[in-house]
Amino acid sequence: MDIEEVKRRAGPREFSPKDDLPEEYRKAATRMIQFHANSEIMGAYLERPFIREAPSLDRKLACSAKVQDEIGHGQLLYRAAESLGLKTRDEMLDELANGEGKFLNCFHYPMESWVETPMIAFFVDGAAMRRQATLKRTSWEPYAHAMDKVCFEEGFHVKHGEAILHELMTGSKKEQEMTQEAFEVWWPRIIQFFGPTNDKSTHHGFASEVGLKQMGNDELRTAFLNAYIPKAEKYGLEIPDEPRIRKNDDGTYEVVEEDLDWDEFFTIAKNDYDGSHQQINGRQKAQEAVDWVREVLDEHEAREFGSTQQQAAD
Amino acid sequence: MIWEVFRQENAGDYHEHCGNVHAPDREMALMFAEVQHARRKPTNSLWVAPKDEIGEVDTEDAKFGGTTDKSYRWAVTYDFEAAASEVEESTDEQAEADRRRKVQQEKQEAQGGD
Repeated sequence: MDIEEVKRRAGPREFSPKDDLPEEYRKAATRMIQFHANSEIMGAYLERPFIREAPSLDRKLACSAKVQDEIGHGQLLYRAAESLGLKTRDEMLDELANGEGKFLNCFHYPMESWVETPMIAFFVDGAAMRRQATLKRTSWEPYAHAMDKVCFEEGFHVKHGEAILHELMTGSKKEQEMTQEAFEVWWPRIIQFFGPTNDKSTHHGFASEVGLKQMGNDELRTAFLNAYIPKAEKYGLEIPDEPRIRKNDDGTYEVVEEDLDWDEFFTIAKNDYDGSHQQINGRQKAQEAVDWVREVLDEHEAREFGSTQQQAAD
Repeated sequence: MIWEVFRQENAGDYHEHCGNVHAPDREMALMFAEVQHARRKPTNSLWVAPKDEIGEVDTEDAKFGGTTDKSYRWAVTYDFEAAASEVEESTDEQAEADRRRKVQQEKQEAQGGD
C-alpha cells in the first residue's frame, strides 16, 4: 500500500498487522504509541510513592489499584506498538531507561505532596482520557483495541482523583490553601498537556491525514477546558490569571500562548529538564533492579521451547 | 486435530471464539472454518489455533476479581457527576460489568448450593 492509499482509506480501525503499510505510517504510529506507552509507565512511577503517603486505607488501596492499572496500560500499548514491526518492547523499554524515549510533559515534574495528587489523578488523567476517548477511532486497530480497555478503566482514576480533590477542598483551611497553591503550579503544565496550537505541532498534520490522530490539539484543549474549568470552580479552586484564557462566542477557548513557558516545554520535550533526569534515572534504576526477572523468564522460555528467539520478557 | 475458531464480524472488531473444527492441518482448518462458521454469519476474518495450544483458567481454579471487597477499584463507588462524557461512558461500562459479574456470582453460588 502506498501512502496515498493509506490517506484515502484512513478511517477508524482501518489498518491491522496483516496490512502491508508503508514505512512512513509505521514510523508515525510507532512514535505515537511508544510515547503513549512511555507516558503510562512514567505516570505510574510518579504516583507510586503516594501509595505509601496515602492518608487512609481506602486511598491506599485505590492508589495501588490505579498504579497497577497504569503499568498494565503501558504493557498493552507496547504490544500495540510492537505489532507495527519496527521496534520490540525490549528496545522501547531500553530507550525509555536511557533517556531517548519521550513522554508527557506533566510527568517530568516531581510530585512532593499529597495535595498534588488530584492535579495528576483528576486534571491530567481527565485531559488524557479526553484524548484517549478520541483514539478509540484511530486507524491502527491494535491501538484502538488497547484504548477500549484503557478507557474502561480510566473512569475510576478520574473519579477517584475527583474524590481526593473534593476531600481536600472541603477539608481544613490549610488544606484548601495548599491545594490551591498546587493547582496554580500545575495549571499551566496541564494546559500545555495539549501542546502548542496545531500549526506549531510538527507531527500533527501527517498523523491526522493517516487517521492515527482523530482530533487536533486545539479541539481537545477546548473540550477539556469546557468540562474541567466548571469542575475546578465548583470545588472552589480559583483559575490563575495566567495563562489568560479567552472564551470565544462559539464556546471555544483561546489560551494566550505567550503566557506559557514554551522554553521549558521544549526543554522537557528533549528530556533535558531537571525533573526529566530525575524521573528517567528513577525508571532506569527500577529497570536494572528487575533485570534478573527478565533473564529468568527468557532462560525459562528458551528451555521450554528450545528456541533462541527470546520473547516472554522482551 | 482440533482447531479452535475465532470469527471477526467487521473490520476493526474483536475476533470472538465461535467453535472448533476437526482438520489435519492449518490450511484445511481454515477451509473448514470458512464453510462451517462463516457460511451465513457476516464475516470479515477468521483465526484458527490448535486446541492444545490454548491455555485456560476458569472459575474452578480462580476467583476472578479476587476474594476481598475491591469496590475501591470501581468508578461507580465515587459518587460524583462525571466531569466529561468519556468519564460517564467509562462509568456506565463499569456499572454494566459490575452488574453482570454479580449476576454471574449469584448464579455460581446458587449452583454451588444444590
